[in-house]
Amino acid sequence: MSSTTRLALRLTGLALFLLVWELVGRHLGDALMAPPSAVARELVALAEDDQARATIWQSIAPALVGFAIACAVGMPLGAVMGRSPIWNALLHPWVSTFVVTSVAAIVPILILLIGTGWWFVVAVVVLSSVWYVTLTTYQGAVRIERRWLDVGRSFGASRIRAFRTIMLPALFPYLLAGARIGLTHAIRSMVLAQLFIVSGIGGLLNEAGMDVSTARLLALLVVIMGIGLAASHGLGRVADWLAPWQRGLEPQR
Amino acid sequence: MSDVIAQRTLARSAPIVAMPPKLRTINLTRHFVRGGDAGLTVFQDLSVDVANLEFVAIIGPSGCGKSTFLRILNGLDQADSGTIEIDGRRVSGPGAGRAMVFQGFDLFPWRTTLENVAFGLEMQGRSKRERLDIARHYIELVGLTGFAQSYPHQLSGGMQQRVGIARALAVRPDILLMDEPFGALDLQTRDLLQDELLRIWQSDPKTVLFVTHSIEEAIYLADRIIVFSPRPARIQRDIRVPFLRPRSEELKTSAEFLAIRREIWCLLKHGVDVGGPQAAG
Ligand SMILES: Nc1ncnc2c1ncn2[C@@H]1O[C@H](COP(=O)(O)OP(=O)(O)OP(=O)(O)O)[C@@H](O)[C@H]1O
Ligand SMILES: [Mg+2]
Repeated sequence: MSSTTRLALRLTGLALFLLVWELVGRHLGDALMAPPSAVARELVALAEDDQARATIWQSIAPALVGFAIACAVGMPLGAVMGRSPIWNALLHPWVSTFVVTSVAAIVPILILLIGTGWWFVVAVVVLSSVWYVTLTTYQGAVRIERRWLDVGRSFGASRIRAFRTIMLPALFPYLLAGARIGLTHAIRSMVLAQLFIVSGIGGLLNEAGMDVSTARLLALLVVIMGIGLAASHGLGRVADWLAPWQRGLEPQR
Repeated sequence: MSDVIAQRTLARSAPIVAMPPKLRTINLTRHFVRGGDAGLTVFQDLSVDVANLEFVAIIGPSGCGKSTFLRILNGLDQADSGTIEIDGRRVSGPGAGRAMVFQGFDLFPWRTTLENVAFGLEMQGRSKRERLDIARHYIELVGLTGFAQSYPHQLSGGMQQRVGIARALAVRPDILLMDEPFGALDLQTRDLLQDELLRIWQSDPKTVLFVTHSIEEAIYLADRIIVFSPRPARIQRDIRVPFLRPRSEELKTSAEFLAIRREIWCLLKHGVDVGGPQAAG
């Protein structure tokens, strides 16, 4: 499929979606589901509201900090698990357990442990994204091909050189994929955490939920989706730029 | 280059009556331990002498330990007993003038042709300028000028193996180890690369150990063919190939060529017959 056809189809899909939403919205009314036209007006209002903008920016900060911690912990952890059977046997059961556990279930304990401040959001973000980063890196580390390491040894690569010139580049696509999945989960859990403690975007959502109209609520939803998409897409771009060799290997996105 | 010559002169002037062979293995034994059963002896007491600048082909039934032998010579694997000597000096571990061309090409997909060829030099800690200059020279030698900036997935199988050969040549090894380097290629590409290899080898002679499954390839390329028996491998026959160089395709239809071919074919067939029940047991 050519890229123009794909773009055209995507835009058609979006237009159809907006049309159905508009029709359903008009039928149900603002109180149940505001139509896109009303949401668009609310988006403009949000964009003009300095305080709301600042709140949104400030909400993102703990998510980014949490995401950075998740990468700093998850990437080495996954790599070690992938290369060492002992560490894998020790840690894998725990990682697989946590990845299927909803962070929401641990929130009460977290609140008891660290309260409801800024670090609470960070903790929720870390706990919900670190497992994805770990497991994706693990998959990459397991897949580092022995023949590549053999080539390294054959040419007399020291351990450090082999790590830098073989392991890291081989892991790289997985590190980026892990980062991308992790970032998505970080932003999702950021909203969740802020809903619990009624601050940041969560606070705005909470406030909007009390309105008679759902327009503001839906506008916030669009903003959150936008942040998530932009973050994920941006990381994808960074990946293409840093690892040009794999553009030809991947199936077309 | 000059240190190689110096080394050779040294070896010649050294007070040794007979010059030691370039490569010598003495009673090399490799045994793989497997949980439960008695394990697997791949070869036992394998002793081979390879003269300097000799092109030796190794042929033998599948699974008889040819790759294992080469991996041990390269230092990728350790023999359980026995020694390897290069120029009369015992060696262990990789490096020291040997380089391997791998069967699956085994290029790094994240490196361009230029970076792949420069890999060995990079591992030796050469400066970037030096290694890229040398790499460019060998890329030209294997006929890949214009593809220096391509990634492996942008190259055909034959071109990838040219990169593999250039990568091994770039470290200027005394001994080139090649494990079925053309095994994954189609016949035409294979014929082409055989001639290229001979051309490169004649312009820059080195000691070559070349594992192959193709009897024709072995006779066409080598000065000497070592036929391995089935596992546990021993040297079943050591054949000197009498043809002068440079060789050309017509050679492959000459009576003498066909006679050697039949001899090896019978040896291998016989080996399979004998090895069948033994391998099963
Ligand atoms: N790491 C290993 N652990 C256990 N057994 C091994 C190992 N490597 C090789 N072997 C065994 O040693 C034997 C010889 O293997 P090798 O790869 O050297 O054979 P080969 O002669 O190169 O075969 P082919 O012609 O098919 O490439 C095989 O039976 C193989 O199963
Ligand atoms: Mg083999």
